[in-house]
Amino acid sequence: MDTIVCVKHVPETAEAEIAVDSSGKGIKTEDLVFDINEWDDYAIEEAVLMKEKLGGSVTVITMGPEDADKTLRKCLAKGADKAIRLTDKAFERSDAYATAKILHKAIKDLPFNLILTGTQASDDGYAQVGVILAELLGIPHATMVKKIESKEEFVRVNRELEGGLEQVMEVKLPAMLAVQTGINEPRYVSIMGIRKAREKELKVLGLGDLGLKEEEVGESGSWITMEEMFIPPVEKEAEILTGGPDEIAAKIVETLKARGLV
Amino acid sequence: MTNEEFAAIKKLNFNMCMQCGECTGSCPISPKSQLNPRRHMLETAYLVSPLTMRPPLKIYERNEIWDCTTCSTCSYLCPREVKPLDIIIGLRGLLVEQGRIPSTLGDALEGVYKYGNPWGLSRSKRSDWAQDLKVKYVSEGEKADLLYFVGCAASYDSRAQEVARAIVKNFNALDIDFSILGNKETCCGNEIYSLGEKGLFEELVQKNLDLLDRYGVQKIVTTSPHCFHAFKNRYGRELPVKHYTQYFANLIDEGKLKLSGKIEKAVTYQDPCFLGKHNDIYDEPRKIIESIPSVRFVELSRSRKRSVCCEGGGGRMWHDIPGERLAEGRIREALDVGAEIIVVACPFCLLTFDDAIKTTGNEEKIQVKDIMELVAEAL
Ligand SMILES: Cc1cc2nc3c(=O)[nH]c(=O)nc-3n(C[C@H](O)[C@H](O)[C@H](O)COP(=O)(O)OP(=O)(O)OC[C@H]3O[C@@H](n4cnc5c(N)ncnc54)[C@H](O)[C@@H]3O)c2cc1C
Ligand code: SF4
Ligand code: SF4
Repeated sequence: MDTIVCVKHVPETAEAEIAVDSSGKGIKTEDLVFDINEWDDYAIEEAVLMKEKLGGSVTVITMGPEDADKTLRKCLAKGADKAIRLTDKAFERSDAYATAKILHKAIKDLPFNLILTGTQASDDGYAQVGVILAELLGIPHATMVKKIESKEEFVRVNRELEGGLEQVMEVKLPAMLAVQTGINEPRYVSIMGIRKAREKELKVLGLGDLGLKEEEVGESGSWITMEEMFIPPVEKEAEILTGGPDEIAAKIVETLKARGLV
Repeated sequence: MTNEEFAAIKKLNFNMCMQCGECTGSCPISPKSQLNPRRHMLETAYLVSPLTMRPPLKIYERNEIWDCTTCSTCSYLCPREVKPLDIIIGLRGLLVEQGRIPSTLGDALEGVYKYGNPWGLSRSKRSDWAQDLKVKYVSEGEKADLLYFVGCAASYDSRAQEVARAIVKNFNALDIDFSILGNKETCCGNEIYSLGEKGLFEELVQKNLDLLDRYGVQKIVTTSPHCFHAFKNRYGRELPVKHYTQYFANLIDEGKLKLSGKIEKAVTYQDPCFLGKHNDIYDEPRKIIESIPSVRFVELSRSRKRSVCCEGGGGRMWHDIPGERLAEGRIREALDVGAEIIVVACPFCLLTFDDAIKTTGNEEKIQVKDIMELVAEAL
């Protein structure tokens, strides 16, 4: 099984204090710690598990700045064979569509049976790149994948649906699968392992190498433009309910009903 | 086994082991876990032995290796000075390199790598505990004669922060000039070493030595025996470090610290493994406690070298195992000797006992306090 995994280098924001930058269209990232997008950590793990079981190769690919090499090296340490970074000033401010176009150019001539992406990226949260990429490549896809079983010509996958339902389907290869968290347990990579992974191939490609034009990527090549980014103001309206548990419960039900929420 | 694994194991001093079993017999974790230092010694020996009397050891099936608290009881009791703890840390190192580590421990390592603390909390919040206190932060061009190294637990855990605050209060009350690293402080790496993550430990050593050099640090005092141990024994360079119990006991000797406040309570003391068993520091903490007038000091029935681990070391703060926690047994022992306060000198003991007092339902009967909190009360 030859697998390509798309990974994104994202800022960790769960603990951090977030501030909007001077452009008003992004967040200040100087003090933020960047790491592999959580979903992608499961995707690369799945690819490496498949390689360990079935043989083949794993290539990781990212579109991002030089700092994203950290994420690529981590993937190489986990067991990927090769890494590609797509970097160009023109790629900045690409939406999911433009990003998928860039990835598509880099992937279309590579040999592969399977492409894995995460279901979504924790920073922009589009949950679109994988699906658009599959469309551009003209291959079938499945999203929110929680289990993958490889057969000769196809993969059998379990998809997680709303309300806890699971759907089992067979997807003909080559295919794109967007992986959901929890599909496996991503392994720890030691610092020693990351140091050793420096010996593996890491290729950097730009706009020209991919045969793309400036207007096809970045803001001009995107369908979505960012108007403004802001931190939602804190609402002032808060009501503290008093009374015994039964009383409070009754008041909550009343309020929910009054607002048409139930 | 790869050549590298083979080389790593060969460096360990396992072949002196005579299989007497003293280590397993004394290990406080063995009764409730598959952890069995004696067996690990034999299996390790077979790894590099031409003998094939047993099926080959699959280290990755030895998940119990993570149950060890690195209390070092096995190592100091071993009649052959084999140091089974070193073997356990070595085996952990092999597993870490294979990525086979319980996920909560992996998270702790990642947290240290990314944020400089095993809880993975934001670096910018590291010194929040000191915000309203009189502290001096290290600054470029100014020599930090005395550095107070706070450590991760006392920086981030709300209960342990009270110890850091007490230490600052005590320094200030005695007019002692000291500095802290603030948000520049980073994990000492003691637990990282204990978890076998050698590469990460090396990076932390480098970072910390750079900081100490940059700010011309002359003396270091630590909150935690774990930081103290790392600086003293694991940094490969002689550092002027003292645990706060040593520092304050010395102030008593010099007549600079006189405790006058009364604490009319029966007080017992838990020897932390990294002060006691690892570093033979038993008298200094007792000297401080006993210098408080009216304190009735009682020893636990198992104390000093025989003291039982609280189960917070060796990564166990981030890896729980089933069964009664050792700290719960220790609280019962403390009650048995009539103690109303169990005094500790380590943030991990503080946290594990704090939990144990609650889980055993003894909040009314006994309290846990750090020595520095007692001193702050008695000053
Ligand atoms: C790792 C190891 C493995 C071994 N395996 C085997 C084996 O498989 N088979 C085998 O046959 N042998 C084995 N032996 C050897 C065997 O244990 C010893 O031969 C035997 O224990 C010798 O007894 P001892 O008199 O030295 O007393 P010890 O066994 O050293 O002493 C045991 C106890 O005897 C009592 N005792 C001893 N001397 C006195 C005294 N003067 N007064 C009062 N009480 C006393 C004490 O209570 C003492 O604690 C092994 C030894 C070791 C170290
Ligand atoms: S105590 Fe020492 S000699 Fe005895 S079994 Fe343990 S490691 Fe071996
Ligand atoms: S260090 Fe302590 S917990 Fe670990 S094996 Fe030795 S005695 Fe047991």
